[in-house]
Amino acid sequence: MIPIEYFLALAAILFVIGGYGVMTKSNAIVVLMCIELMLNAANINFVVFAAFNQDITGQVFTIMSIAVAAAEVAVGIAILLNAYKMRKSTELDDEKLTSMRW
Amino acid sequence: MFIEYTWLIPLLPMLCFLIIGFVGQKTPQKGGYIAIAGAAISCILAVLISYEYLTGDAYPAAVTESIHWFTIPGGFEINVGYYVDGLTCMMMLFSSFISTLIFVYSLGYMGEQGERRKRYYAEVSLFLCGMLGLIVSSNFLVMFIFWEVMGLCSYLLIGFWSFRHDDGDEASANAASAAKKAFLVTRLGDVCLMAGLFILLGEFHNLDYASMFDPANIAAVDSDKITIAMLLCFGGVIGKSAQFPLHDWLPDAMAGPTTVSSLIHAATMVKAGVYLVARGYPLFVQDANVMLFVGIIGGVTAFIAATMALNNMNIKRVLAYSTISQLGYMILGLGAGGYLMALGIQHGDAALIAAGTAGMVAGCFHMMNHAFFKALLFMCSGSVIHACGTEDMRLMGGLRKHMPITSITMLLGSLSIAGFPLFSGFWSKDLVLDIALEAGDETVWFTVLWILAVITAFMTAFYMFRMWFMTFMGEERENAQHCHGESPKSMTMPLVVLSVFAVASGFLIMFGLDGIVGIEYTGAAFVVGGAETEGFEYFSELFTNPYTYLTIALALIGIGIAYLMYVKCSINPGKFNKNGESWLYKALSNRWWFPQLYNQISWKFGYGIARGVDYVDRQIIDGTVNGLSGAVVGGGSTVSKMQTGHVQDYSSIVLLGIAVLSVVFLVIAMITGGI
Repeated sequence: MIPIEYFLALAAILFVIGGYGVMTKSNAIVVLMCIELMLNAANINFVVFAAFNQDITGQVFTIMSIAVAAAEVAVGIAILLNAYKMRKSTELDDEKLTSMRW
Repeated sequence: MFIEYTWLIPLLPMLCFLIIGFVGQKTPQKGGYIAIAGAAISCILAVLISYEYLTGDAYPAAVTESIHWFTIPGGFEINVGYYVDGLTCMMMLFSSFISTLIFVYSLGYMGEQGERRKRYYAEVSLFLCGMLGLIVSSNFLVMFIFWEVMGLCSYLLIGFWSFRHDDGDEASANAASAAKKAFLVTRLGDVCLMAGLFILLGEFHNLDYASMFDPANIAAVDSDKITIAMLLCFGGVIGKSAQFPLHDWLPDAMAGPTTVSSLIHAATMVKAGVYLVARGYPLFVQDANVMLFVGIIGGVTAFIAATMALNNMNIKRVLAYSTISQLGYMILGLGAGGYLMALGIQHGDAALIAAGTAGMVAGCFHMMNHAFFKALLFMCSGSVIHACGTEDMRLMGGLRKHMPITSITMLLGSLSIAGFPLFSGFWSKDLVLDIALEAGDETVWFTVLWILAVITAFMTAFYMFRMWFMTFMGEERENAQHCHGESPKSMTMPLVVLSVFAVASGFLIMFGLDGIVGIEYTGAAFVVGGAETEGFEYFSELFTNPYTYLTIALALIGIGIAYLMYVKCSINPGKFNKNGESWLYKALSNRWWFPQLYNQISWKFGYGIARGVDYVDRQIIDGTVNGLSGAVVGGGSTVSKMQTGHVQDYSSIVLLGIAVLSVVFLVIAMITGGI
């Protein structure tokens, strides 16, 4: 049996990669993809703990989480598409998008 | 039979007001006929009620009926109802009768006003409602309400021409400011009256005449409180009846249509103040000093107002001053009579009480006679103004040939007010002088006032005939030359009717009027009316009294001087006033600087307070609120700069937060040894 630490390490590495991407990438679509990575790291943790604890709840929660992620991506993409339509940019650092703050 | 319907008397004009107000524009004359019908029916009803009351069994006790209106916690009962006694009868008869004639006259006088007649007729109906309601009401609160209704109507009607604002002419500005002045100055008196009524309510626990005029109830009340309350109530009279020093609104009120002036001066409004004194007589006579004050105010008013009429060039202004002066006579008569009655009650002297009754008769009698001749004079002046298109007497002259009816009726009115023997003003004015002289035996004040009043009688004769001669005699000046001729029938007919009354109403004193309006004090009750009538005694006393011949002589001299100055031109008035340069002449044309005094008081005192309040409001109250909101807005806009708009900044702060929290939790877990 593969020890649990491996799975947790994988999840942690995935989460950090995602977090790094969110903080550094300037393209909004890449940021969205990185957020998916972070979410999936969490999902892996759910599944792993569910398997090791012999508890189905974690796996059920993963299904839930995936559904929410899908919805979130749909909304996020929609916002981005509109932002692109209006401002002709998906670059987060771009003045065209940062000027929407207040 | 009719007396139960007394409440209908004020209600009918009120109904007319509503009808004209809602559908007046659809009726002929824009509601004029409705207003006349309302006033006429009220008048007929007043005649029927008076007849029934005066011939009924209850007379001379007052017939009163009240229904409960509301209760103020603490045992204060407020009722609403009617109160009929001799004074009520006299007042409602002459007010409704004169108002009817004035409304008929308005058909001609206001005939060219088009749609605005609806507003005019609605407002005069409400005005009449106010006066009649004031007369028949059974307690001071209801009276005060109608008193204020009249205040409102006088404001609306004096400002009737203010719609001419668009043209920006001077008259319209005057109308608006005259209306404001009338309203505010009388308001000053009304505040005093209200304060007086509060004191009375606090002491008597209700305001019904029937219980307040009961000597037993009066005796149960602190007499100092009554003194203060009656002085305050007299403040209301000073405002409403244009007494010194609040008299200055009345000349300005001439800015309204002449019919309105006639209504205000003859039938309503200024008579309300005199009525209040007459009505409140049982309370006023509780303190002789109050009555002395009343008399002094009356005498001084009569004198001051007469002086101001001496050199005025505006035909309506002269009449306005004469009204103030005559009101002063009425108040003087009531004050002198009340002073005697108060002393009589104090010392238990029946002769003094009887003299006091005569004083009340004199005041009320003069009020009625004045109503007739002043309504007549104003309507005549309206007729003249209608024909000439000016109010300046210097532009008139020689109108006698153009306007025979107006000139003769106005002559009758002038003779009456001047106190020419056998005309109505003669009787009542000499009664007032007589009673003032009688009161002079008790205190020297009234002797002084009597001298003032006699001089006033001389001045009255002079300025009235100066007015009549300047208008109707002599050469035709500018506006008289293109005068339209005599006014229409609807205007001259009321003049003729009124001139009959102005000449003859004085004879009523010989047919028992003094018995109807005089107040009797029997020790157990104050009763208006029912006294023995002494008409022929008055008559014989008047003609055996040497002072009567003095006033007659003075009146004749006044008329003669006016004749010499303005018809014969053998005396040049310029000689006396140094051609308008003398100090006295300027003082008179500046109305003794009363308008300036009012202005100074309101600018220095009123405006000063207003500025102080304004400072507190703007700087302190508004400052606090504005400062708070400014701080919040400024703080918000400063803090909002923290928002960079860079998503990564936000996410890094979130992650940093999570990292810090994680470390904290880890440390806590390590310290406490497990979660």
